[in-house]
Amino acid sequence: MMGLAAMVEGAAAGPLVLDRLIDEMASDAEQIEPGADALERRAVSLVRNGDPSAYDYLVARYMKRVLSIAWGIVRNAADAEDLAQEAFVKAYEKIGSFREGEPFGPWVYRIVTNLALDLLKHRTKFRHEEITPSEPGARRDHADLRAVSGEIGERIDRAIESLPGMQRIVARLHLVEEFDHAAIAAMTGLAEGTVRSHLSLAKKKLREQLSDLYGGSHD
Amino acid sequence: MTDSDKFFERLQADARRLRFEPDEATATRIAARIRERIAEQPSAAVFLARWFRPVAASLSALALAAVLGIAWFEKGTGEADVEAIAAGSEIEIAVAGDFYRVSN
Repeated sequence: MMGLAAMVEGAAAGPLVLDRLIDEMASDAEQIEPGADALERRAVSLVRNGDPSAYDYLVARYMKRVLSIAWGIVRNAADAEDLAQEAFVKAYEKIGSFREGEPFGPWVYRIVTNLALDLLKHRTKFRHEEITPSEPGARRDHADLRAVSGEIGERIDRAIESLPGMQRIVARLHLVEEFDHAAIAAMTGLAEGTVRSHLSLAKKKLREQLSDLYGGSHD
Repeated sequence: MTDSDKFFERLQADARRLRFEPDEATATRIAARIRERIAEQPSAAVFLARWFRPVAASLSALALAAVLGIAWFEKGTGEADVEAIAAGSEIEIAVAGDFYRVSN
């Protein structure tokens, strides 16, 4: 029981929901293999069986990461909030098609990435309220500023934002969010080879721009 | 580890700080909005009822129209049949042991 409580440490789901999940898991502990994702699997199972309150746990667990991914792509706190909300609602609506036993995170990351990329396409098409990559700080609000603190952070942020199109998104997902090539490919719908190619070009440009920060010569 | 690897390892360590960190109020607000949106989702019964009502109404209207149409058609063709039979048949009349035939 203590182990289960420790597992959920850090997740900001309501205490009632967590207590109930832990109680329910303890009651059929023999049927569920132990592990860090046992609570998540249980929550998914409950939601699939028509208990929406168990979804709070999944939202609390992945909220920050989903918001960060969205913000990294669209660079606007209000849009990122809307996208995160939309992604979780969409994931809830499609939970019937979610393969039970698989981690929920990559699934919702893929949904939010697709929504964010769609928004970017929409912005490019209609060019309203657009934030151009050359002036990433121009429209940052209070929440955005929290993310880029420190001189080095700002230099890196500017360098990443100066990259063109998908290079910028792939570089951010890899360097900031620390996803590997396969995960980025799954999230963006690009082939893994294309992700590697974007990343290789992005790294080359970043190294040119940031060589004074970390020293080292160009290869 | 090459120079390039070291460079990007250090870059990644610093870039990690660029993650967007929402405050508790933001996270709570979004979670509440999600909960609200989910609560708005119709249950299976409501969802079915929403579909079923217009479908049932359309089918009823269709059935009524079909019944009325058939009744009207049968009425129309019934009268026509009697006239047709009358027009196409000979009538025999017997008067004082003699038979007379009348036809159109």
